[in-house]
Amino acid sequence: MISTTLRYALLAALALYFVLLLVFIKKKTLLLKYSLLWMFSGVLMLILVLWPTILDWFAKTVGIASPVNALFAVMLFCTLIILVSLTAIASKNKEQVKELSQQVAIQEERIRKLEKNK
Amino acid sequence: MMKVVVIIPAYNEQDAILNTVQDLKDNAPFVDYLVINDCSKDKTKEVLEENNIPHLNLPINLGIGGGVQTGYKWAAKHDYDIAIQFDGDGQHDAKYLKNLVEEIKAGADIAIGSRFVQKNKEGFKSSVTRRFGINFLSAEIKLLCGTRVKDVTSGMRAVNKKMIKYYAENYAQDYPEPEAIITGALNGARIVEVPVEMRERQSGKSSINPIKSVYYMIKVSIAILISRITTKKVKK
Repeated sequence: MISTTLRYALLAALALYFVLLLVFIKKKTLLLKYSLLWMFSGVLMLILVLWPTILDWFAKTVGIASPVNALFAVMLFCTLIILVSLTAIASKNKEQVKELSQQVAIQEERIRKLEKNK
Repeated sequence: MMKVVVIIPAYNEQDAILNTVQDLKDNAPFVDYLVINDCSKDKTKEVLEENNIPHLNLPINLGIGGGVQTGYKWAAKHDYDIAIQFDGDGQHDAKYLKNLVEEIKAGADIAIGSRFVQKNKEGFKSSVTRRFGINFLSAEIKLLCGTRVKDVTSGMRAVNKKMIKYYAENYAQDYPEPEAIITGALNGARIVEVPVEMRERQSGKSSINPIKSVYYMIKVSIAILISRITTKKVKK
């Protein structure tokens, strides 16, 4: 079982985390669509902090000696998923920018031709 | 009459581009041509404008893959029957274009100008190490999709209308020459090689730095493998 002190500390950290997320979403620094994964990770953490027996069971099942390490493992996994999704977003952006610039080039040539024939 | 367009990707080719275009005018008068100025930092754009050479100006630098794909999109939009990729740096020789076009007319979907087929002993064949790399990639492509192409990195290739449409929508961005062969082959394209001679570049720098060759090889091998896994094979 993780210590009660750690649970309070984590609760405080999570509260701060959720406030920050909401502020960012409200300011539109963060699009709601992209913040969902962060939300889910936060909720998952909250569940584990509120019901630490889940963590004990999880640690035992996958063979992690100390429940607090299981907590770290879950956090690390969430971070990895979010990082991959960030790369996916960047890739999609790149594809869209490519498509846009190709269309710009094709339209620019068309305009040039039209203006010449005027 | 078949409409043929030559797509010439150009990045900082102010010194070579006029010779390339002159070569086309002299030795392949039956083609239209289109230079893709990939956001060059030198005077390429001015040279193209002053000499009234048909061209597209990309607003940002996309690299060879995105540049060539722009040409395919333009060719598809203007309903061309055959599109030919041709380097702007003077490595390619326009007198071979008619051989490529003949192969397409004879029924090939892709005709690649190759330095390594038949007995063309002349011309620039690149260094021994680079040829080893090209042979390795060639063997990998043969293994993965059964198509034998010897000169997998050749940037001189003609494609028919079907492949113009396909490449306009799907064209590899990172290592386009070998990858385009594998995606083409997996989509049922009939690929032939035509013997050509190439020259050493007249100016500018190769997109493949020789020092980085080994790194390039590893990346391309993986890219080819991944495109084999992720491209669905179409029955011929």
